[in-house]
Amino acid sequence: MMTMENETPTHAASLKDVQQRRPEVARQNAVAKDAFNPNHIEVKDYSFFYGPNQVLFDLNMAFPERHVTALIGPSGCGKSTLLRNINRMNDLIDGISHKGDVLIEGQSIYDPFLEVISLRKRIGMVFQKSNPFPKSIYENIVYSLRVAGRNRKSELDETVETSLKAAALWDEVKDRLQESAFSLSGGQMQRLCIARAIANRPEILLMDEPCSALDPIATGKIEDLIHDLKKDYTIIIVTHNMQQAARVSDKTAFLYMGQLIEYDDTEKIFMKPSEPQTEAYVSGRFG
Amino acid sequence: MPPTPPKKPIPERFVVAPATLWFDRFMNHFIKVGGLAIIVAVFLIFFFILLQIFPLFRGARVEPAATVSIPPGDYRTMGTDEWSELPFFLEQDGTLRFVDTVDIGGPHHRGSFVKAPSFIDEVEIAYARYNEYQAFLLYGTTDGRFSIVNVDYQPTFPARGGRQVVVSLRETPLLNVGRQGMTVERLAYGDSGTRKILAAIQRVNGRSELHAVSLAQRRTLLGPGELTVDGRYDLTEFLDGEPRHIMIPSDADALLIAFADGRVRFLHFDGRGFSERQVFTPFADRPDPRIASMNFLLGDVSVVMTAHDGANRIYSIFRDPTLDMRIWGHTKTFPDLPAGATFYSVGMRNKAFLIGSDRRASLRYGTTEAIRWEDELPFDVQFAALGPRYNRILFLDTDHTLHAYDLRDPHPQAGWKTYFGRIQYEGQATAEFSWQSTGGRDDFERKLSLVPLIIGTLKGTFYAMVFALPIALLAALYTSQFLRPDIKRFVKPTMEIMASLPSVVLGFLAALWLAPIVSNAVPSVILAVIGVTAAAYGFGYAWGNLPQRIRLCLKPGYEFLAFAPIMCLAAYAGWSLGPVVERAFFVVTDPNTGLQVPDFRLWYPTVTGLSFEQRNAFVVGFVMGFAVIPIIFTITEDALSNVPDAFRSGSLALGASRWQTAINIVLPTASAGIFSAIMIGLGRAVGETMIVVMATGNTPVTDFNPFTGMRTLSANIAVELPEAPYLGTLYRTLFLGAMVLFLMTFMVNTAAEILRQHLREKYKAVE
Repeated sequence: MMTMENETPTHAASLKDVQQRRPEVARQNAVAKDAFNPNHIEVKDYSFFYGPNQVLFDLNMAFPERHVTALIGPSGCGKSTLLRNINRMNDLIDGISHKGDVLIEGQSIYDPFLEVISLRKRIGMVFQKSNPFPKSIYENIVYSLRVAGRNRKSELDETVETSLKAAALWDEVKDRLQESAFSLSGGQMQRLCIARAIANRPEILLMDEPCSALDPIATGKIEDLIHDLKKDYTIIIVTHNMQQAARVSDKTAFLYMGQLIEYDDTEKIFMKPSEPQTEAYVSGRFG
Repeated sequence: MPPTPPKKPIPERFVVAPATLWFDRFMNHFIKVGGLAIIVAVFLIFFFILLQIFPLFRGARVEPAATVSIPPGDYRTMGTDEWSELPFFLEQDGTLRFVDTVDIGGPHHRGSFVKAPSFIDEVEIAYARYNEYQAFLLYGTTDGRFSIVNVDYQPTFPARGGRQVVVSLRETPLLNVGRQGMTVERLAYGDSGTRKILAAIQRVNGRSELHAVSLAQRRTLLGPGELTVDGRYDLTEFLDGEPRHIMIPSDADALLIAFADGRVRFLHFDGRGFSERQVFTPFADRPDPRIASMNFLLGDVSVVMTAHDGANRIYSIFRDPTLDMRIWGHTKTFPDLPAGATFYSVGMRNKAFLIGSDRRASLRYGTTEAIRWEDELPFDVQFAALGPRYNRILFLDTDHTLHAYDLRDPHPQAGWKTYFGRIQYEGQATAEFSWQSTGGRDDFERKLSLVPLIIGTLKGTFYAMVFALPIALLAALYTSQFLRPDIKRFVKPTMEIMASLPSVVLGFLAALWLAPIVSNAVPSVILAVIGVTAAAYGFGYAWGNLPQRIRLCLKPGYEFLAFAPIMCLAAYAGWSLGPVVERAFFVVTDPNTGLQVPDFRLWYPTVTGLSFEQRNAFVVGFVMGFAVIPIIFTITEDALSNVPDAFRSGSLALGASRWQTAINIVLPTASAGIFSAIMIGLGRAVGETMIVVMATGNTPVTDFNPFTGMRTLSANIAVELPEAPYLGTLYRTLFLGAMVLFLMTFMVNTAAEILRQHLREKYKAVE
């Protein structure tokens, strides 16, 4: 048995091992505050197809740990597809295929021995349209714990409080945790979804245009929240809003027609982009 | 006020075509009218059914019709013809005075006339009694003889039109009963066609003696021969008190003797002799137990008794399960009369009887203990006769005036108690819910309880749902959440084709193909079901624990390819294990051969005490479930597929498995739709007719035993409507059954709708 495990080192990436490794990561963070893994998520020669249609073309990029990376580009450029492939949400769609690989801390997300479920536990996701479940606020937050079989009341209560505090929603809802999530306003619902996504303390947070359906005030709150969250999470955000990308992200990738046109520090992308297409897009001349 | 600007002509491109407007307006109203018409139609149907059942709950109406003066005389009893047109009054000397009550003052009025048996001048009549149902008079003479005189009423149709009732008397010769020359005090006679017995109380030297004779009538070529005595029995030993009444039912197998102290002795006659069966005191619990009157109800299985204080009870003969013998028992109690009955008349079409004393007359119904009509009359009643057609009541008062009343009571048996209460019917040892609308004899007591039918409906629905719900819901869950869309495109229409199978075909299959197979192999069927379920669980568990390397051989969504052969194997294994299990556990002694045989059909009744029928609820549940599954499946599948994808994605992104997502998120969100699906399936099962008519045996039982049949309300209507006379009690009762069915589905649907709205509110998705 032992030898078998040794012979198949990829087993190390199973859910159990991921959980075991987490404190180690946290400790590293504590020791070297500024030290981070610049290649937390690596995309290598990655192409993606919906049936015969290729939507991503040979992407090569890396997302740094505990930074916010923004994916920008005109509609249909493949930025959401890329985002949704990182936690393999596109698996549900019929007739998809890919080439190349996506690695998280060096491990392929397409590893046949990696459970998709454990991958998704590692990666939180916030959708364009807030999608709280038709349950109470409390039950929405603890959902990821409950499906993992963790039902201890004290742990659930603690998670609800820390998650809601992290999502800056605690003060607004602490007295009505048992009310339906649908009783919240649009901005509150989106923050609830963020709180829900971080309840299981993932490493990565994917945000698919999280503010597109919100008013400016709610958007401001979410942006502040993203700023706070990047201390603990690697965040990838898809946005149509140039200003938002400039405000919240550390790095920005510009995609166009499924190709990565330019990927650099946000400041550079917005101030002196090296590609003319990027400049045209960020200055609003096309897109 | 600013001047109104001059109207500019509207440019042609803005003008709406009048046809468009007209059509739009027309369709608007047309749709409105159509919708209203549907609502009106539903209410009209409801109203029509209500109109049909309303008369069932009306009492009897009795209205005075005519009075006729009768020549004065010392009358002993009265009787009447079928149309209550020519009643007779028996005089003390044995002559019969007939009085025409129609066309009074007209040219064809016959007034009153007298007829008498031929022997009337030779003997002195000591006792006479009239049997209304069989229309014969019993005469007892002072010299110890008797004669049976038939009163033959015949309708004639004279040339002038209309109907005239004529009467003739047919008498038997005077025969000796018991002691010759001794006065006959009371007589009783029963004639079952094959057996005739007559009992008499005679006064002998100041004390009573009881004698009985059995009579024989040899048929000759020229018709019925002479009546002769072929057996004599001295029953005086059974007289240990002063006898007051003696009675023999028309079956001629019993003799009831009521004593002055209130006891009744029941002697059984087996064709060779009399033996004592029972002695009982009908009014033992009353301060005065003496019996004032006792008379048979139609059918001669029940005796209507009154005590001197007016208590009114019915005693019936039924087989006592502990004694395993037919004995008399108290079955019905009526409200008290003011005093013991002085007049009585039996209904000849149903179990009604007219009873009363002095001025109080009461029309009561034996089966239901109901008083159909009761009134204080303005005269003292001497005798009463209930018209044989149950449409007239005749009273003779003490001033020799005949009062005719019209009686309108088309549904005397109907009432809440009949339909929804427990009733101890004649011949039953306990009060029960029974349905048996027709019987072989005229004096048959109808059993019209709707409870067995309601229970049957619930039972059929229950077993259908037990079978259909898990399969339909799980299939819908699997199809919508796990099956690949390309296969789903093929599965769903297939299920919908299944829904279009005519239920008569399913019923036919169930009755002629499935029922025999299932009843021959119950253990096999049960084991196959268990086998498939266990295989499903086992496979799921094993698959989850298989190394991913093997699991990856099948794409997600194609797991059923691996499961299908295992399921077939499990079903086959269960089926073939059936006989083995039967040999091991269900061995029982065959009552016919005395051998030990493995047979579930025999084993089940011996062990559980319940019966086993070939056409049973198990089979019906199976086939009706088959009819219900596609409906539930289709609607549930739609509801599950309509759950917003955002919920599923949200759940999956949080690390929930597909199963957890389906159970925790999709199922509750779709609960309103699933609930509707179940309710529509339930409605289909409740109203389903053809399958239950064909496959249940239509036995109106009141148990939930899976191995007996049932009769549902809908099947009952289908089965009995052809036999129900238009506007009769049964006809209206079937409409009442329809109403109950309607109310059942209405209540279920209303409750379902309320709950569905609640669920929809709770799980509605935000837009």
